[in-house]
Amino acid sequence: MPSSPEALVLRRLGRRAVRSPGRGAGVPRLGVRVPYVLLGLLVLAAVVGPWLSPYRTDVPSGEAYLAPFSAGHLLGTDNLGLDLATRVLSGMRISLFAAVVVTGVAAVVGLVVGTLAGYAGGWVDSLLMRVTDLFLAFPATIVAMAIVAGLGPGLTSSMIGISVVWWPLYARIVRGEVRRASRSLHVEAARTSGTTGWRLLTRHVVPTVLPTVLVTASLDIGAVVMTLAALAFIGLGSPAPSPELGLMASGGMDYVLSAWWIPVVPGIAVGVLALIFNYVGDSVRTTLRAKEA
Amino acid sequence: MLRFTLFRVASLVPVLLALSVLVFLVSHFGGGDPVHAYLGANASQDAVEATRARLGLDDPLVVQYWNYVSGILTGDLGQSLSTRRSVSSELATRIPATLELALATVVLSILIGVGLARAYALDGRGAGWLRFVLFSAASAPAFLVATAGVVLLAVQVDLLPVSGRTSYGASEGLTGLYVLDGLLTGNLAYSLDALKHLALPALAGSLGPGVALARVLADGLSTNLASKHAQTARSLGETESQVLRRHGLRNAASPALSLLGVQVGMMLSSLVVVESIFSWNGLGQYLVRAINTADTSTVATVSLLLGATYVVINTLVDLGLAALDPRARLS
Repeated sequence: MPSSPEALVLRRLGRRAVRSPGRGAGVPRLGVRVPYVLLGLLVLAAVVGPWLSPYRTDVPSGEAYLAPFSAGHLLGTDNLGLDLATRVLSGMRISLFAAVVVTGVAAVVGLVVGTLAGYAGGWVDSLLMRVTDLFLAFPATIVAMAIVAGLGPGLTSSMIGISVVWWPLYARIVRGEVRRASRSLHVEAARTSGTTGWRLLTRHVVPTVLPTVLVTASLDIGAVVMTLAALAFIGLGSPAPSPELGLMASGGMDYVLSAWWIPVVPGIAVGVLALIFNYVGDSVRTTLRAKEA
Repeated sequence: MLRFTLFRVASLVPVLLALSVLVFLVSHFGGGDPVHAYLGANASQDAVEATRARLGLDDPLVVQYWNYVSGILTGDLGQSLSTRRSVSSELATRIPATLELALATVVLSILIGVGLARAYALDGRGAGWLRFVLFSAASAPAFLVATAGVVLLAVQVDLLPVSGRTSYGASEGLTGLYVLDGLLTGNLAYSLDALKHLALPALAGSLGPGVALARVLADGLSTNLASKHAQTARSLGETESQVLRRHGLRNAASPALSLLGVQVGMMLSSLVVVESIFSWNGLGQYLVRAINTADTSTVATVSLLLGATYVVINTLVDLGLAALDPRARLS
């Protein structure tokens, strides 16, 4: 489940030196705004699409089984006669929601732990960072699988499992940024003018860290989408007939010889989600860099 | 370098210990009651208690953990509660299967990565489109690549087989890596057949990592070849191939190796998916089956095995990085 290489390298380098790797010279440009437009269209389709569709995700249309693309069924139907377009749009809605929640939880937990460690220093810092390093040393997806298997399959379990393995990356990055920010001139200035404690933290330290967190999070959502789909694919997500994309793809594998679109269409949907988020992350970074400069 | 090596190897111990505790606790507190899964829903109370006592599930938690860890260290991985066979004997044939697939995946990733890096770094007409296609390919989930591969190469043109490790049956002993076994016994047809069966699964697992590797490698190469030190080297009379070797490749290899280390974790998890698609009789398929039959202790054992492999490989990558770039030893 590869995501953007930058995010991966960051995940690893996070253990040693925290720095944002340079923007990949090889990343094809789409312009800064195009990714946001694509994302907007995607969200619109996922939110409104299933609602506009004449079909339901769990009630067969009764006319066609294993039907290829047609005007009545834009993306064909599956073995139960369910409309694939409707199910894929609903599946994208689930993926979007789950991935945003997981990334959000991971980023917030990481922000709190990282800020605490970076600001408090001393034994608090050492303790929190040892725990963080331990988590970073584990293979994220395998540990997530074990956790989900333990909790019992389901979308909520998958979301918990991935969140548990995802926050340490943010804690590492935030800690480094907080330490740097604490030594920066404007925080020094605020401190000399009498700002202390909570106020100094929330007004002057955390705001300087947020852009980095935002960039990492937007680059990460695509990876979370893929991880969720993989967990659903091996049967760790919601049970059938939930329109989870990974589940639809694995169920469709039985029909790959006669109706290839059943597994391929949901797979492409996952790829499109991941691709758009990779571009959005890239744009967020470019935009924030331009502001800093 | 020796001190660094010793330090990195020693720091494996607490990490592996923590991983075993985590996996043990997850399998112990999560999931259903393994005894009920083992005996069936209609088991009598007496039978349940007897089995609990026999399996040692009444012992204090620390004792259970100790039994678990010492079992693993002595190679006794217990019994699978769903198949009722010893886990060690089931893993004996599955580990080589996964190893063969993993090796093929890594080799193919590197080939794809290095090959595409050249194409990626190209300038000129069509380069933008090529980058777009490659960038998109990196976003394709392993199961999509697998499915597309089956549809295009197996169904449409009937070029490659869609499942299993060979058309002939298990190889004759030796390493358990079918391609290698075929070569060692001089049975080229067998090797070739095993290789054909390997092609699609390995491609499904390596396309994503390969493309990602290509991007990092191409990025590193173009940055380093345009850098001040490369220019200085040129002005001092080094030839372009010397510059490429001494200043380009050497500096670009470090982030690429780093990425490859992370990708191993990704590969391990995508192998789980790939194996279940292609009925590849390996660890991943075994893990999926254990998960679906709520065989929590087997899930714990296999995840620990995969987790430990990842941790060890990452340490090796760190050592490799330190050998390449002395600055990496400073942490």
